[in-house]
Formats: sequence, C-alpha cells, structure tokens
Amino acid sequence: MNVMITGAAGGLGRAMANECASRGYNLFLTDINEDGLTCLKQGLERQFGVTVTTMACDLTNTESVDKMLDVIDKHGIRFDMLLNVAGMDYEGEFMGHEREKLVKIVLLNNAATLRITHAIIKRRRPGKKFTIVFVSSLASMFPMPLKATYAASKRFLLDFATSLRQELKRQDVNVLTLCPGGMVTTPGAINGIKAQGFWGDATTNPLEGVVRNTIDRALSGKRLYVPGMLNRILSFLGKIIPSTWVAKVIYWRWKEVSHNGSAS
Amino acid sequence: MKTVVITGASSGIGLETARLLARLGYNVLGIGRSEANCNKAKELILSENTNAKVEYFLADLMQQREVNRVSEKINAYLNERCNGELHALINNAGCVRSWYMTTYEGYEQQFALNHLAGFLLTYKLLPALKKAQGRVIMTGSDSHKGIKVHWNDVMLRHRYNPLTAYKQSKLCNLLFAKGLNDRFALDGIRAYVVDPGLVNTDIGNKDTGFLVNLIWKIRKKHGVSPDVPAKTYAYLCEVKDVPDGLYFYLCKEKNYSKEVTKENADRLFELSERLCDIQYGKVGMT
Repeated sequence: MNVMITGAAGGLGRAMANECASRGYNLFLTDINEDGLTCLKQGLERQFGVTVTTMACDLTNTESVDKMLDVIDKHGIRFDMLLNVAGMDYEGEFMGHEREKLVKIVLLNNAATLRITHAIIKRRRPGKKFTIVFVSSLASMFPMPLKATYAASKRFLLDFATSLRQELKRQDVNVLTLCPGGMVTTPGAINGIKAQGFWGDATTNPLEGVVRNTIDRALSGKRLYVPGMLNRILSFLGKIIPSTWVAKVIYWRWKEVSHNGSAS
Repeated sequence: MKTVVITGASSGIGLETARLLARLGYNVLGIGRSEANCNKAKELILSENTNAKVEYFLADLMQQREVNRVSEKINAYLNERCNGELHALINNAGCVRSWYMTTYEGYEQQFALNHLAGFLLTYKLLPALKKAQGRVIMTGSDSHKGIKVHWNDVMLRHRYNPLTAYKQSKLCNLLFAKGLNDRFALDGIRAYVVDPGLVNTDIGNKDTGFLVNLIWKIRKKHGVSPDVPAKTYAYLCEVKDVPDGLYFYLCKEKNYSKEVTKENADRLFELSERLCDIQYGKVGMT
C-alpha cells in the first residue's frame, strides 16, 4: 500500500505517518518543512522498517508541485491512499490580520488541496481501490467568528469531499472527511487548551486514537468521522440551531478564551 | 577540578543539584531549554559564590538533533578545558505530557525526553566519561514500580495515558542504568538512578492540560524542596568507594522493580540504539 501524506511534518501529519507505518504501508511524505521531513523519515524507518520517501514541497506553488509530480512519475510511483493533512490558520479578528496572510489560508487549505487531490487521483494505482482523506474540522460545522476564514475553508473541504465522493463512488474510490475538535498537535495548542480550563480537556481528542480510527474508517468506506461524543453533539447542535445564534455564542466564548491571555 | 553535566539544570531538581555541586567545587555544565531560565540559574549560582565554575548550554533535548548539537559543544568544551574528562553526567531533564505528542522523529515525547535523550547524550559523552571513570545518574521515580515496558507499543499509540507513559519512562531509566553497568562497569563507569521522592517542582505544570495541572498543583504541595534529592546526587558523585546498588533514595540504596532484569535491559538497549541510530559497542571507532 502506497500512501501520500501532505503536511506530514506537523503534529497530525506525523501521527498519521506513524499510524500508517505501523501498519506496514509505504509512505510518500511531503511538507514545506524539509528538516522536519528528514527527521520523521529517520524516525519511521528506525521504528517500523518501512520505505519512506520524502520531498519538500510548497503546495501553494504550482511549480513546486509539478516538480514533485515529475519525481513521482520518473520513479513510476502510484498511490493507494491520499491523506490531505496540510492546512493552516491564523486565529483572531479578520481585520486584525494582514491581507495576504488571510488569503494564504484559502490558498493552502482549499486551492492547494484541490491541486494535489487532482494530481494524486490521476496517479492512483490502476485496478486497485483508492482512498482519500480530507482533514476538515469541527469548525466546518458552524460559522466561527475569530476563525472566520479557517472555518469557512474547512466547510469548503467538507462539502467538496461529499460531492467528490459521489462522483468517484463507481470508480472504487472512498472519500472520508475528518472533522476533529481540538487536538494537541503543536506545543502552542496546549496553551489554547489550558486557557479553556475544564472544557479544553473535555473537547480535546486524543491524537493517537483519532488517526487510528480515521484510517480504519476511511478503508471501510465511511464518509464522515467526527471524533468524540461531545463533538458529535456539538456538530448536531450546529445543524439545528440558527447560524446567527451559533455565531454569537462562539464569538463570546472565543473572545473570553483569547482574553484569558494564553490562547495562541 | 571535577566536571559534571546536568540536564534540566535551570529549574527544579536539576537547578538545586547544580547549586549544590557548584558549592562543592564542581565545574558545572548545565543544559536547559529556556535562555532566560538558564541565565537566571547561572546568576543565582554565581551570586552564592563568585568563584563558582558554571556554564549553561541551551538545548531542547527531546529532539535528537539538539542532543547531537549540544553534545558536540560540550565535548569541545571538555576537550579544551577539562582534559577531555567528565566525572558525572546527570540525566535529569524530564517532562509529563497530558496527551500523546511526538518529537520531530515522530517519537512519543515522554519516552523521547525522559529516556531516549539521556541514552543518546550518554553515548555522545561516553569517551569523556570513560576517561574520568565517571558516573551516570538518572532521575528516576518510585512510580516505575508496578508497570512493564509495553514492548509492542513503547510509544503508547494505543491508549496513551500520561501516567503510564511517565511510569514506563522511569522504568526505562532503571533498565538503562542496568544496561550501562552491565556493559561499562569494567571501564570504570557506574550508572545509578535517584528516586527524588515527591518533590515540589513544576514538572506537572509545564505544557500539560487542565487535569494533570490541577492534580499536580495539589500533589506538589506535599512534596519536599528540591534541595533534598540534590544531596543524593551529590552523594553519588562524591562517594569514593563506588556503591554496588542501582537505585538510591536519601543517599541510601533502595529496592526497585522486579522488571529490571538483564533480559529487559538488553532489549531496551537494543531498541534505543535502533531509535537513536547508534551503537554503543562502536564508541570511539568512528
């Protein structure tokens, strides 16, 4: 099984890579952080003895992606699974950020994800089942003031994935969307959780369980995975409560959390 | 003058041990993560004795590349000013993580810092330790008892639990010390593990979540001051007739887990060598 993981050097990407490597899958890892990829490759090979290929790539840059695809084609690498993990966010008020930084969120989370998804489906292993995972977010379930761009970009992925799934169903492709709540993927994430006190712990999903279930569910043909009972309840509430109310509640809640000082 | 390297030396047990050993006339080389804390620690030690020999090095030892980088610096320092001799290495740096988090290599962080970092650093400093017939001292904990190493999942990717990860990493400290003694006692190197007891430090409040934070805030109030365990480290550095024991509490030998067997020690040694991509048998041959 050959698996491509984008954003592999980040916290969630590393956990995904660990999970796949522990299952004996061969990995093609990409990230903008070349050093991170090198370290991870070493760690995975030492731990699991699988074949790990890495290539640093800026997915928002067409040339950079083309270069990577050339390498893939030159070696005739074909894939059975694509894990779209790469994504980013700048939290805080929309007008509090530089213009181009905000645009970059959409360029990576959406445009680049489409680019790589299109390219890798074209390079699926012929005659075999193919699996795609999109990492969306619990934030995709509601309008989220103070995370406005991010939440909308994740909503894009959720809807896109559902449609793509329908289109590719007959071609033996499954598409799963992962919508996790908070996960401790970076040292900074801990501060955000701490600032929320008890609720921070309660809505935090264990990374190692989420990645295992994600791969299991994607392989068994599921469409959506919202980890954690509390998060499933929240996503249900998001569907029945008017979105203007939700926006209001979320605004006040996040305002308070970021006011507590340590939320990053 | 004897030289000692102490990791996690900018706060808690490491800082108190650094202070005590500096007072006893050791040349103290501390390693810490935060520049501000390291500067403060150095000032504190110098304020107690302006002639104290103390130097701090910055490194985030959880990351293997940082261990490699800082050990090169320390080796250069030892070769330049200490005749290439290191009398004691105190692998004290440790952490608690509320959640499964990984290093750049994808290793679970408690295992990576509490065990692997010391394993790799000891390897890097082994020639200097051999030259001085030095001692390697790990900060252990009585919580190493009542647990086995999860050999099929040492990174605890299945059902990660902060306490299990901590306990296992502390059991690894004992297994590593045993493995070192089995291999290098004939070279004059001795390894020990100190049980500091319950100590009032911030270990459970650094980068942890609400629950671990709360529990540790309550629990640490019952802990002793870190200058109490510091005496045990000093004793193990100073004592002339090398004691045979492995595990020490308040300067006395103490019983440890039955899991500390040669078989387990060898198994951990082999696994750790693989995870660090090193071979202890080939020290000095490169």
